[in-house]
Amino acid sequence: MTLTKVYDAATVFKHLNGIINVYKPAGMKVKHVRNAILSNICKGLNELKQREPRKLPNDMRLLGSGAATDTVLHKIAANSDLSDHILASGPRYLPGDIRCAPVGTLGDHTSGVLLFGLNKGLQQSSLIQRNRPVRIYHVTARMGTATENHLPDSRVTVRANHRHLTPERISGLASSMQASHQRKMYELCGVDLQTQAAYELACKGLLRPADNSQPVIYGIKLIHFNRPHFTLELHTINENEQYMAALIHDMAIELRTVAHCSQLRCIRHAHFDVTESLLRHGWHLPGIMKNLRLQQNVLKAHPQLLDQQRVDLHAAQ
Amino acid sequence: MISLKVWQFPKRANLCLSRQYTTKSKRVVLSQDQDKIKNYEPKTTDAHTNRVYVWGFQETGALGLQTNVKKAKERYTEMVHHPTRLQFSNNNEITDVTAGYGFTAYAVKRSDGQTLFGSGLNTDSQLGYQVKGNKKDPANLDVIIYPTAIQLPRLQGETDEDMQVKSMSAGRAHLVVLTQNGTVFTMGNNSYGQCGRSIIEEERYSGSALINRIAQADICGADDELVAVECGQDHTMLLTKLGRVYTCGWGADGQTGQGNYYSAGQITLIGGDIEKERIVRIACASDCVLALNEKGDVFGWGNSEYGQLDDSADAVTQICTPRALQLTKGLGKVKDVAAGGSFCMALNDQGLVYTWGFGILGFGPFVEQTSKPQHLLPPLFGRNDFSNATTVVSIGCGVFHMGAVNSDGDLFMWGKNRFGHLGLGHKKDQFFPFKAAINGKALKVAYGVDHTIALCRPHI
Repeated sequence: MTLTKVYDAATVFKHLNGIINVYKPAGMKVKHVRNAILSNICKGLNELKQREPRKLPNDMRLLGSGAATDTVLHKIAANSDLSDHILASGPRYLPGDIRCAPVGTLGDHTSGVLLFGLNKGLQQSSLIQRNRPVRIYHVTARMGTATENHLPDSRVTVRANHRHLTPERISGLASSMQASHQRKMYELCGVDLQTQAAYELACKGLLRPADNSQPVIYGIKLIHFNRPHFTLELHTINENEQYMAALIHDMAIELRTVAHCSQLRCIRHAHFDVTESLLRHGWHLPGIMKNLRLQQNVLKAHPQLLDQQRVDLHAAQ
Repeated sequence: MISLKVWQFPKRANLCLSRQYTTKSKRVVLSQDQDKIKNYEPKTTDAHTNRVYVWGFQETGALGLQTNVKKAKERYTEMVHHPTRLQFSNNNEITDVTAGYGFTAYAVKRSDGQTLFGSGLNTDSQLGYQVKGNKKDPANLDVIIYPTAIQLPRLQGETDEDMQVKSMSAGRAHLVVLTQNGTVFTMGNNSYGQCGRSIIEEERYSGSALINRIAQADICGADDELVAVECGQDHTMLLTKLGRVYTCGWGADGQTGQGNYYSAGQITLIGGDIEKERIVRIACASDCVLALNEKGDVFGWGNSEYGQLDDSADAVTQICTPRALQLTKGLGKVKDVAAGGSFCMALNDQGLVYTWGFGILGFGPFVEQTSKPQHLLPPLFGRNDFSNATTVVSIGCGVFHMGAVNSDGDLFMWGKNRFGHLGLGHKKDQFFPFKAAINGKALKVAYGVDHTIALCRPHI
């Protein structure tokens, strides 16, 4: 594929199809990210070379009224439709002209990888979402205080000591939780571990939940511990912010202390990685076009992301 | 390209930036009770690099978890269903572990010069001569519930460094330790000559202080060097740097590979098909032995009742001379082997785990016996679309259960689970590899007959 420079807004718009991978900042709603991106795209498109105003039919000349302005009117040589001029009709591209939908969603407090389907990419985005790929989060907890909704911006309810906590204790709990979630994974599929059906399902790898009602956790690992914070890596499906915050809270209760969730960051969504994610200062048209190309490569490298066969198989590979 | 609005205030001339599409995050710290939040001084603990997890049958004391004799006799303490961290490994730098039938030995690096510890059954003095150190200690020291030092007899001039454990292995009731300076120490039951000394009729092993010391040169001569020991149920095998194998002990099933079915207390070099081969690894849990040469070919001897070593129609059930296996010809280059009571395992260079024989082989509840090696699918060992590169790096097995460690350091286990030695939280058999919940990356796993010991490295 050769890259050519394009100055023409219409050509760019024609190629504005696919998936983009955006880094959502914390404290910003998905809706606002979407609006910011769409308005930036429109702004970029409107700064490019626009199409000329429409031509009037040759026989539709401007009529002179015999007044003093007649001299100006007669000097307009071209037969262009002035009502289609940018100055008269407004910008050529408006946010409403671009179709855009997120793949899954992230909570307000969560930052990280957020996928959007643009225009014809909407089909891809819904296929990815229906496949229910695994998302990986880094969730930071703050030990010592519990808050009302387990997130940092609410009222502190309980305080506790956490001097007895060591990384070993936390990762010990994490690994046993992981094992029980893996067992849960088989239970959600309704099979007994001692049966042939369980063996056949296990041969397929990770089991996907049959529907999107129940959150499933595949891996929990302690990756950082610096009192009073610790960070867990979670591999999940069907999760939401509140579920993960409650998980932190429950873990802390289990560890004989209290904690709330201070940061949530999605570092990977299926094969879409945070390293290729578009940071906020890159949310402009050239950046988005480049990102569309990058994500196209990801989709090409992993065609199973769009493969519909796997939905009812509940298996990853 | 973010839309910026810049207002210029002529008086103070400061910039005010505002973004169009963000709500200002409501992350204001609540001032509620802020002054009351305590400051903690993080306690620094001495962190040893390795840690040990143990699970399985505890009544023998092999797990070394109990510190109180009275408590150890209470109800509901006979089994540990979940991998549990060994307190002993918090205080000591453990470098190696091995599991026998109801006892465990730990190789330890310590400043006081002790290099070997053990816990569990000591009915045949397989953990050395243990004396009452305290009045409160029980009179009967047949069961040692917490790891205690095993004194290796030293010659004059032997340093702590010389006494560090190079390799060790345990059988039904004997323990063989190879130290850095090449000396072999054997202790425990010698009724079949497994300790490498002549058999004494009606010898009393309980409370025996005898630790047999064999110099390297007496076994393999001055030009070779011992590198590893491996014990079966009641026999011992020693492997040298040049790839020769020396054996002694029980030979009723041909497991000594000496060409006969007698028991021998004399350590003898064995030949057969491995005579000119350079053997790099031997594996044995009971009475069927597998050996691997540096080219990746598999050899075997001993019990073949279940067709583990030879599946032809007129095959003998006991092979007393090492022979190159025809069964494993199609597996490619074999990297690791393991032999259990009635089954065998092999790992090839592509990371595929092959099992054959009789028992729970990992192919679900319906497959009880295969005579041809078949491989278990990689997804069973944690390979999925998020860890594409995960392969199995080492395998091992006890008499009734098997295990494999993948490149992520996760341990997967399957097999009989009568004593909870799969660490799955119950006593039901597991018919395909299932991840054990260990808090760390498994470096080495010792599979006993009813318990399992994993030497791990912590995640952080």
